[in-house]
Amino acid sequence: MAKNANTTTTVVPKQNRGFKKFLKDNIGFFFILPWLIGFIIFKLYPFGSSLVYSFSDYHLFNGISKFGIMNYTDIFSDAKIMKAFKVTFKYAFLTVPLKLTAALFIAYILNFKIKGVNFFRTAYYIPSILGGSIAIAVLWKAIFRNEGLINTLLGYFGIAGPNWLSDTKWALFIICLLRIWQFGSAMVIFLAALKGVSGDLYEAAAIDGAGKWRQFFSITIPLITPVIFYNLVTQLCQAFQEFNGPFVITKGGPRGSTTLISLLVYSNAFKSYQMGLASAMAWLMFIIVMVLTIIAFISQKHWVYYSDEEGR
Amino acid sequence: MKKTKKFVAFLMASTMVFSMAACGTSKSDSATTDATANDSATETTDATKDAAETSADGKTVITFSWWGGDSRHEATIAAVDKFMELNPDIEVQTSFGAWDGWEEKMATSFATSTASDVTQINWNWITSFSSDGSAFADLNQYSSIIDLTQFDQSKLDLCTVADKLQAIPVSMTGRIFYWNKTTFEKAGISVPTSLEELKKAGETFKTVLGDEYYPLVVGEYDRMVLMVYYLESVYGKPWVENGELQYTAEEVQTGLEFIQSLEDDHVIPSVETVTGDGADSIDKNPKWMGGVYAGIFEWDSSATKMQSALTEGQEFVVGDYFKDMGDYQGGFSKVSLGFAISESAKNKEACAKLINFLLNEEEGIKLMASERGIPLSKTGLQVCTDNNLLNATVAEANSKVLAWTQFSLDPTFEDAKLKNNPDGIYYDVMQGLSYGDYDLAAAATALIEGVNGVLGN
Repeated sequence: MAKNANTTTTVVPKQNRGFKKFLKDNIGFFFILPWLIGFIIFKLYPFGSSLVYSFSDYHLFNGISKFGIMNYTDIFSDAKIMKAFKVTFKYAFLTVPLKLTAALFIAYILNFKIKGVNFFRTAYYIPSILGGSIAIAVLWKAIFRNEGLINTLLGYFGIAGPNWLSDTKWALFIICLLRIWQFGSAMVIFLAALKGVSGDLYEAAAIDGAGKWRQFFSITIPLITPVIFYNLVTQLCQAFQEFNGPFVITKGGPRGSTTLISLLVYSNAFKSYQMGLASAMAWLMFIIVMVLTIIAFISQKHWVYYSDEEGR
Repeated sequence: MKKTKKFVAFLMASTMVFSMAACGTSKSDSATTDATANDSATETTDATKDAAETSADGKTVITFSWWGGDSRHEATIAAVDKFMELNPDIEVQTSFGAWDGWEEKMATSFATSTASDVTQINWNWITSFSSDGSAFADLNQYSSIIDLTQFDQSKLDLCTVADKLQAIPVSMTGRIFYWNKTTFEKAGISVPTSLEELKKAGETFKTVLGDEYYPLVVGEYDRMVLMVYYLESVYGKPWVENGELQYTAEEVQTGLEFIQSLEDDHVIPSVETVTGDGADSIDKNPKWMGGVYAGIFEWDSSATKMQSALTEGQEFVVGDYFKDMGDYQGGFSKVSLGFAISESAKNKEACAKLINFLLNEEEGIKLMASERGIPLSKTGLQVCTDNNLLNATVAEANSKVLAWTQFSLDPTFEDAKLKNNPDGIYYDVMQGLSYGDYDLAAAATALIEGVNGVLGN
């Protein structure tokens, strides 16, 4: 009797069984489905549609009247846009090496067993959390204005500081400095990599008479090249997308000396409503970043050391 | 139990992903949001276009948006609350914020038909966003609700585009000089009443007060407005009329030369100096606040903002137009702002009721006072005057502007391609001239080409 009852309760309709099996077989897919939907709607669709728009004269209020490559030809014939590309390259090639150098240098120092090291690690990481915020950009502006903190300090030493924000020679440097100051996240990654370098190697090198510099360049650097490579690529991508700093601090001025391409994309899209042109500029920037990333990947076989590849 | 756990896990994952997606994951997205909130935090209540046409309790729901400062927000919210009290069948959901980034936000909402039902608009938005009349409703159709007889027809005509009255003009505005009388007294001179006196003041400020003191400060766009005022005074014709720029290259050069002469004569600081001050606008510039810069050429409606920025003990006075600028009364006035009803609004009658309450009904007028300038509505002005609600400085400035200016402004004057900071033509030309990148001829050519480009010529 009891056996019969059990049999009755475990009977599942054939249709339900099929659904259950389907669920079981595809449970992973269902877990990523929310992300997938979000990705398609908020990333893939805008990504694809912006490519189409880049080949049109799409105006936010007038719509599309023609298709063609006019936006791309306009970009190359517009001195203002070409200057913005130039400034963006300058910005990226200034900030990325300096930021990586600063991050590696500080990480190297913080890797030593020094008193209060945890405090210093936290302190150096804080700018990374704050650095991208508008509040810090506003503070940066206040520090570097004509009568700001820096010029006041310089004044104590009898030095007349320049107009940091309005001198075309200095403004970009100030924007770069803000980005370099946010070296914390790269530093933490370097620190983790440095921790992974075996102490035995340093000991052996020391026995062989290698000094600290020699150890750094002959052991540390080669062994953390995969992390340097990772940081290089991510920082390069971030640098080409920089927006906050110049937008808040200089609005792209003076005389376009801090007008990065992202500012022009924003301005064309949301102030002049020329979505087609803005899309073309964004795509051109994407292609540039992609090419640079590919070059970085190709070049890694010459300088990046992976320990699982027989020491190459 | 296992099923429930899976379902909950799925639900949580979905919620998390969608909430993250809604926040925006790209850096530039967050940058835009942050930047908008930069000047003064954008305050937004829960007004969205998705609001139901009627609320759960059967009320008609309309949305209303505006930009402005804190005092305008407080006055408008009080007026809206009063309106809802008097019209219990209507619920008004509001959204408001600072000007910084507001135009971009509204442009996107107009383009996607998700704008608020009732919108405070800048005058040039009519031509920018609704030149074919597609964005805003024709308010002539609601003349039984909005008392249009309260407004001069000539003012209503300024808001009529594509044969539709697309907005009700709230007030008129124009640029006028304001002086920090205290600084002038410190320099031992009285505030200038003529161009000659202003030029002399430049020299006096330099010798008596020091190099960093200037009798007037103007940004790039201010320079453009000042130049047009000068040109209209000299040549007696508007800047743009019937879609055509009215000035030749030589005449424009004369105007640019005038601006440059002010810089050369120590009347105005260079663009480099003002930019280096690191302030977003003149009212936030410590040198204006402290009286180092002693004059501005501003909208009459901005008087209170500029006055309240000054540190204690400084006297702020409304200036006069200069009679020696030229043979004509130069300078222009324009519609300061207006109220429009979105074409996509579902309850346009309720929207019209709200507009009429804010502009023409005593209770609304008393609460709104002169927060949006000196009212154009006859009843509005009467109620404000009778109840002493007008700011004395704004009223004085506005009466001087309206009494003096004879030219109107073409809406394209404020086109984004010209007025954008930093890539608009006005900024390029005025900065270029001040930094020495342009000579007068090159600057005039760039300006004319830019203006003609916008005019489609």
